Amino acid sequence: MPEPLYFDHAATTPVRPEVVEAMIPYLGPRFGNPSSTHRWGREARAALDEARERVARCLGAKADEVCFTSGGTEADNLAVLGAFHAMSPKGRKTVVTTPIEHKAVLAAAHQAAREGGAERLVRMTPSGQVDGASYAESMTSDVAVVSVMWVNNETGSINPVPELAQQAKAAGALFHTDGVQAFGKLDVNTAQLAVDYLTMSGHKIGAPKGTGALFIRRGAPLEPLFHGGSQDRGRRPGTENVAFAVGLAVAAEMTIAERETEHVRLGRMRDRLQAALMAAVPDLIVHGAEGPRAVHVLNVSAPGTDAESMLMALDLAGIACSGGSACQSGSVEPSHVLAALGVRSDIAAAAVRLSLGVMTDDAAIDRVVQVFPTLVAKARGMALA
Amino acid sequence: MSEARAVGPRPGDRVLVAMSGGVDSSVSAALLKQQGFDVVGATMKLYHDGADVPDRPCCSLDSVNDARRVCERIGVPHYVLNLQAPFARDVVDDFVAEYARGRTPIPCVRCNTFTKFSDLVATADRIDAPWIATGHYARMIDGRLHVGQDPAKDQSYFLWGIRREMLARMILPVGDRTKAETRAMARELGLRMVASKPESQDICFVPDGNHAEVVAARLGTEHAALQPGPLVLEDGRRVGTHDGFVRFTVGQRKGLPAGFAEPMFVLSIEAATRTVVIGPRASLTGHGVVAREVNWLAARPAVGSVFGARVRHRAPLVPATLVRDDGHEIELALTSGVQAIAPGQSVALYDGEALVGGGVIESGLRAKRALPVIAA
Repeated sequence: MPEPLYFDHAATTPVRPEVVEAMIPYLGPRFGNPSSTHRWGREARAALDEARERVARCLGAKADEVCFTSGGTEADNLAVLGAFHAMSPKGRKTVVTTPIEHKAVLAAAHQAAREGGAERLVRMTPSGQVDGASYAESMTSDVAVVSVMWVNNETGSINPVPELAQQAKAAGALFHTDGVQAFGKLDVNTAQLAVDYLTMSGHKIGAPKGTGALFIRRGAPLEPLFHGGSQDRGRRPGTENVAFAVGLAVAAEMTIAERETEHVRLGRMRDRLQAALMAAVPDLIVHGAEGPRAVHVLNVSAPGTDAESMLMALDLAGIACSGGSACQSGSVEPSHVLAALGVRSDIAAAAVRLSLGVMTDDAAIDRVVQVFPTLVAKARGMALA
Repeated sequence: MSEARAVGPRPGDRVLVAMSGGVDSSVSAALLKQQGFDVVGATMKLYHDGADVPDRPCCSLDSVNDARRVCERIGVPHYVLNLQAPFARDVVDDFVAEYARGRTPIPCVRCNTFTKFSDLVATADRIDAPWIATGHYARMIDGRLHVGQDPAKDQSYFLWGIRREMLARMILPVGDRTKAETRAMARELGLRMVASKPESQDICFVPDGNHAEVVAARLGTEHAALQPGPLVLEDGRRVGTHDGFVRFTVGQRKGLPAGFAEPMFVLSIEAATRTVVIGPRASLTGHGVVAREVNWLAARPAVGSVFGARVRHRAPLVPATLVRDDGHEIELALTSGVQAIAPGQSVALYDGEALVGGGVIESGLRAKRALPVIAA
């Protein structure tokens, strides 16, 4: 079998060698606890503060607006539930979000509802954007927090977060965006955004899994999820993971530095892949193609196939990609995102997501162009037999 | 693919192995890998009740994880096949409907017949695998399915319903071993995560053996099968009340009133009147079987053919003559009496050690029947 190809960068990415190198001292000689007053502690604290500043710069934020987390899921929960808990005593008990959010946001909104709040999902357009009228209707005086994902992880669809944030703020609500797939793909600058909270994740940009941060705008209310010491201003108690903070800072800086060239490179490859697959499989459906879309995702359905067997056949042919959201057991579950966009269930069940990134080059694209249509033809032949 | 099958399994051929996460299928995969096959492992996700029960032998998250770990360990790819919808439709719904009719279904037979093997073959086709393998204790000899080498572990009884053409693609790597040998081999192969796993006893979607609860969850506790009804003797005399016929099966002794001259057993269940008929052991003996949903793994036999018949898992084989085959159902005359022939269970038919077919028992026949005279 030829060398396997990784087309699942939206799921996770390899840790950058520079990130590993920058972290190593903090896993060894510079092991101190940042809260300690002695030299080891001071050294660790200085590294942590510096990492916080560097991540803040990458987000157009101030250092104290960055809260390190264990990743996107924790940051999403902290934002949604932290804002809900802070606002509900003031009579604002509704969480407004979209049906295409990551499960971390959807489940946090459910939790708010279980705790006596309400959850309200806005309608989506078929191309993956928030329906303007539905959104406007949702901005009632009982809304605590609005959470809208900037770039969708399954389709790459972009939502107009700058405008949506302004609308939410005008209605007196707090606004959170899950920016996990947006960071490094769009211009994420909190200084020019009305968002109160923004989630980023490390392992999508070359830092280890278990790294992430929540941007919390100065003055935005937030109840912590954890209770303990005063680390991170009490917002996230627990001894800080200095090595991971440093790793996240290096990965974020490198991601920003290469953003424009990668945007061009990935966009060119993705568009070529899409055009070639559509030429080879004329009835191919490209999800999210009708609206604005990030450059690293291509989500396609070949009618008459199913994702489970396509993914197996692709993997055996050396091409690693994803279906809908992979569930814990590794089986392919129907995508709640595509369902919310009104995609027919048999078409949604055929959806395969190819996501491009650091490990993608033109030769890899050529291989997919060669293999994918063959497997589609084979799957359809089987379906007819 | 068909060329590969013409010459039989050869190292280098791709084989799709159904892996439950248990020791038998894990060793099957490891053996095939050792023999040089291009092994692909797959775990079928059949049932999920929301709460994953640890230590459950099959279908829990742990089982999928164990299968995946075994595959990583032996260096082969592993996939999860989501069959929850077809399993619920073809197996669980039928299981519930059968109990509601007063019968005693075997979901494993229906799963093998309708779910497991058909999906395995379909998946094998999609990945160009000429062969499929499972960890069943049964043997393939000259294209015919035989009982397992270890009589205590033989699982051929559950396999009578698979489509005949599948036999040509089946490899059963542990069928010529004993369970002890399989466990020893698992340890030898370094598969510690599965080597000493407990046997699967329960039906996978009935975790604590309480099938009445599954029926209640599906049909509601108000359903007739779960309501009290009369316990009667063969002559119709009422001797008590039972708490729902779903809890009874033909041949059952547990849960019946005491105080009779000899132990009493369930003889039959009449769902329409919710009646459970009981009687002494002698009345349990049957000399004939009527079966439906018949499947042949060999050429359809002529009336008058003689088989070894098994009417229950692990029951001894009894000589049986095919006395009627009208395409809809068959009737078998048994040479010696057999206890507790339960509607819904299977009758599996053997030619020596080879499984040649079977069917779902419609009824047992008490009377001996004169065998037809077959013209020469």
